[in-house]
Amino acid sequence: MAEISEGVEPRLAKGVRLQTDSATGKSVLLFPEGIIELNETAHEILSRCDGRTLGEIVRALAEEYDMDPAAIASDVRETLADLRQRNLLQLI
Amino acid sequence: MTAPRPYALLAELTYRCPLHCPYCSNPAAVESAVPSGQSAAQSATAPDALRTAHATANNGELTTDEWKRIIRDAAALGVLQIGFSGGEPLVRRDLAELVRAARDANLYTNLITSGIGLDEHGLRALSDADLDSVQLSFQSDNADLADEIAGARAHQRKLDAAAKIRSAGIPLSLNFVIHRRNIDRLSQMIELSETLGAERVELANVQFYGWAFLNRAAVLPTCEQVVRAREIATAAKARLAGRIDIFYVLPDYYETRPKPCLNGWGQRYLTINPTGDVLPCPTASSAIPDLRLENVRARALDWIWRESESFNRFRGTDWMPEPCRSCPQREIDFGGCRCQAALLTGNAATTDPVCTLSPNRSVVDEVLRNTNPSGDYRRHWIYRINQWVR
Repeated sequence: MAEISEGVEPRLAKGVRLQTDSATGKSVLLFPEGIIELNETAHEILSRCDGRTLGEIVRALAEEYDMDPAAIASDVRETLADLRQRNLLQLI
Repeated sequence: MTAPRPYALLAELTYRCPLHCPYCSNPAAVESAVPSGQSAAQSATAPDALRTAHATANNGELTTDEWKRIIRDAAALGVLQIGFSGGEPLVRRDLAELVRAARDANLYTNLITSGIGLDEHGLRALSDADLDSVQLSFQSDNADLADEIAGARAHQRKLDAAAKIRSAGIPLSLNFVIHRRNIDRLSQMIELSETLGAERVELANVQFYGWAFLNRAAVLPTCEQVVRAREIATAAKARLAGRIDIFYVLPDYYETRPKPCLNGWGQRYLTINPTGDVLPCPTASSAIPDLRLENVRARALDWIWRESESFNRFRGTDWMPEPCRSCPQREIDFGGCRCQAALLTGNAATTDPVCTLSPNRSVVDEVLRNTNPSGDYRRHWIYRINQWVR
């Protein structure tokens, strides 16, 4: 799959909901016939998929965690590509 | 053993239904059944059937308030998803109100419907209640065959329902129940799914419970059909990747290892039937008649899930006989399906006979031999694509 470009806006696909599982306090994605429990990284990324571009999300995370944006970018791309593959994410 | 938290509740709101599908997984003793010999296809147009259903029974169905309490209790137990099913859930006039209650409890709401009875007004109410998604069933892509299978003139209404759901912007999944009579039309069914703009398509071979168990000889596909269908489904899945999610579910008689039914008994799922019985699995009441079911009218849902004999009977691995008990797969497939074991061997506490390690596998082989008289079905073993583990 081609690399996701900086200007892309990732958004949850139609019918997919991100919410907190009150039983565990963890983030989950809910969709028809399925539930995925998110790890910390995925949660941090998806909670910022609110109309921001990939570049903006990476910069926000880099600032928040005081890290090199280049180091974060590949993790973010990998997570987004994985969710895209499962039809849980749209790249606009 | 300690009970885990459940994730999903199947709410069977009613057994009333305008359709008469011969593979329905509802208990085969439900009174609204059409007597055999009477051709439902000729006798019942859908609205007639709906009216009849309304006239004959709400008897014993849980009330709106009872369902609302169940929804709150289920959410408190940890449930994250609710499927509103039946029968046909649209015959319940309080459906939108129950969807709203489930959304208020933060549940993901899925309506599992034939689409019959879905009018503009009802759809607006469901949409206003923030219904998350609809799973619409189809019997075939071909109207004549579909109506013959459904025993009602239903197909055109389903097409109309799909269009309405699309224009309301609600995510749409299609569910085609696949069997011997329609499996050769898989390509056309996939084409219809594209035309209707579904996000997700299940091509699910009939599993043999309820009415389907009674009609098994008529609905079990041949090995040749199953192999061809799998090739078509696999190609379509690749072609439509990123547009439509396609799930193909094999008839498990053609497997060598059993399905991990329910991801283990009493581990993730619970079903509540129209009169409030709480079931570890929707088919358990008919398949395992000696299972002592608890009812939400008499007991707290939390107690039933954690403490009841029915939910603990096959929980974990302690109940397992050999060859499951010492099998490295025991926490992967959980010994397969308890209902299938009961239906095929008369004992729910045996290895699912689909497993080739089961001492009862010959029961399944015998069925396959009768279905594939030319023999050789064993050459073609193919493996399940698991829908839940992903």
